[in-house]
Amino acid sequence: MSDSAKQPGQILKQNMWTANPIFMQILGICSALAVTNLLSNTMIMTLGVVFVTGMSNLTVAIIKSLIPRKVRMVVQTLIIAFYVIIVDIVLRAYLPEISRNLGPYVGLIITNCIIMGRAEAFAQSNPPLLSLWDGITSGMGYMGVLLSIALVRELLGFGALFGFQVLPAGFEPWIIMVMPPSAFFLIGVITWGGKYLMHRQGEPVLEGE
Amino acid sequence: MNKQSLPYTVVFSFIVCFAFVFLLSLTHQATREQVQLNQQLRLQRSVLSALAIDYQDDQEVLQLFDDIETVERNGMTLYRIDRDDEVLYARIFAGSGLWGTINGVVGVNEDVSRTVALEIIDHNETPGLGGRVDEPEFKRQFRDKPLDDGKIDVIREGDTEGVDGRINAITGATGTSNAIETILNREFERLRDALRGEA
Amino acid sequence: MAPDIPMFSLFFASIFTSNILLANFLGMCSFIAISKDINSSNGLGMAVVVVLTFTASINWVVLNYVLIPLDLVYLRFIIFIIVIASVVQMLEMIIDRVSQTLYLNLGIFLPLITVNCAILGVSLFMEIRQYSFLQSAVFGLGSGLGWWLAIMALAAIRKKTEKSKVSAGLQGAGLTFITIGFMAMAFIGFTGLLQVQ
Repeated sequence: MSDSAKQPGQILKQNMWTANPIFMQILGICSALAVTNLLSNTMIMTLGVVFVTGMSNLTVAIIKSLIPRKVRMVVQTLIIAFYVIIVDIVLRAYLPEISRNLGPYVGLIITNCIIMGRAEAFAQSNPPLLSLWDGITSGMGYMGVLLSIALVRELLGFGALFGFQVLPAGFEPWIIMVMPPSAFFLIGVITWGGKYLMHRQGEPVLEGE
Repeated sequence: MNKQSLPYTVVFSFIVCFAFVFLLSLTHQATREQVQLNQQLRLQRSVLSALAIDYQDDQEVLQLFDDIETVERNGMTLYRIDRDDEVLYARIFAGSGLWGTINGVVGVNEDVSRTVALEIIDHNETPGLGGRVDEPEFKRQFRDKPLDDGKIDVIREGDTEGVDGRINAITGATGTSNAIETILNREFERLRDALRGEA
Repeated sequence: MAPDIPMFSLFFASIFTSNILLANFLGMCSFIAISKDINSSNGLGMAVVVVLTFTASINWVVLNYVLIPLDLVYLRFIIFIIVIASVVQMLEMIIDRVSQTLYLNLGIFLPLITVNCAILGVSLFMEIRQYSFLQSAVFGLGSGLGWWLAIMALAAIRKKTEKSKVSAGLQGAGLTFITIGFMAMAFIGFTGLLQVQ
């Protein structure tokens, strides 16, 4: 996708809905699905993704004219890795509990295709502030989907939300919701629902693979 | 200046790497003490929890930890406290879980016939499955649990409430539950050897 | 201290019960994109096996003999990625010189691998679980084989479902995800074979 000269409102709609990184483009599901069984972990993880996508887009947009073509990808990776390490260090120092829970998945934000994808497709050809906005909204589109998966998984798998028991004690937790397959089922259903609605609205549907 | 030339590329890459690594080192140095403090606090908190001592905040942790005596027995470091006419001990353990080392602290009474509490320091089990070993629901089962013939028995089904030594396994994580059983039973054995003749 | 886990359990678990893809969700992007075509799946799968085994071992050496002694562990993400990119580049050059057939079957997939999360994921798991050198190599190999197996199975299933009539929104990605969910359940079913999870 090469979008150029877009309005902030359009970017928001596109990144949150019509070109949602997850269910329309099937990008970047790798690193974060694994932590979707608890809402609090998903929240911190996706906030990390929003921060890294936004900041790396901003940085790429600022220094893009200085980057030699040959090392463009390497420099982009370096920028992304830089922000991910910052997130890792900050979590370790100020949120040690969450940092331990997320384990290796914080580092895996680096290989999240969304971030590299946005840096390549958007930040390379747009001004810094718009790129920052694009990065943040892409991250939020991603956050929305993952939080809804986590909501279902934590509610049915533990009978809780953000660690607080909300379902009555007699509720028998669905073990399948705690196990990995449920994340695939839920993301499948969300993709299905999202695309179905878009067909009905007559939006042009991007064939994501 | 030609931005595609080799010298420019090399110099640019070098400057970018240098700048990033420099900034990262600064951040790392700035947070280093905080990280170490976190680790130390975490250890002290875990020992307090394993001895069933409640605390409100970090300040209180440091204060309460002063009351705990560190003793050496059979080359093992034990944390000892006198409470309600009995002596309680806590020991830091490490053992293999399903995926990596599980570190924790277990508190016992003097003749190792009862656990006081269990606290997990860190583990690498699968989040949501074996990782639930660190959830209150699982750890609560070790609060003042009498042992059965000096051992615990982690079971998948059946009554555990009020039955000596019986602990409910973590749903969907038999491997981790078995690992905990093995690690703890070995620790009880060691503690018994170390504390023999104390009473 | 390396955890005391039997090699065979580790190998078996990394292929089946804790499949890097189906249980840890790593390497999804290329998994879904490439599984449309069975031949490409095979090529990419093999490439992943080779790259994973090499990078897990090399990153272990880098971690234990460079990063830890120099107290630079906090830079591990960058260093691991650089090692992975270099290994991939080198493999590509070597294969290109050695065999043209192999290059066409395997080499063209190599560039895709640098951004495959499974590769970095295995190195990070190796670090956080404190594996020994041998354990890291076995874990890398097993994870690679597991990934290969999973992509081949999915490519075969997708060949069948491609022609089936389903609701418009479900076609494509939605159906693929639900299929992967069933595969994940099947793989967890291997648990009974060996007491690992």
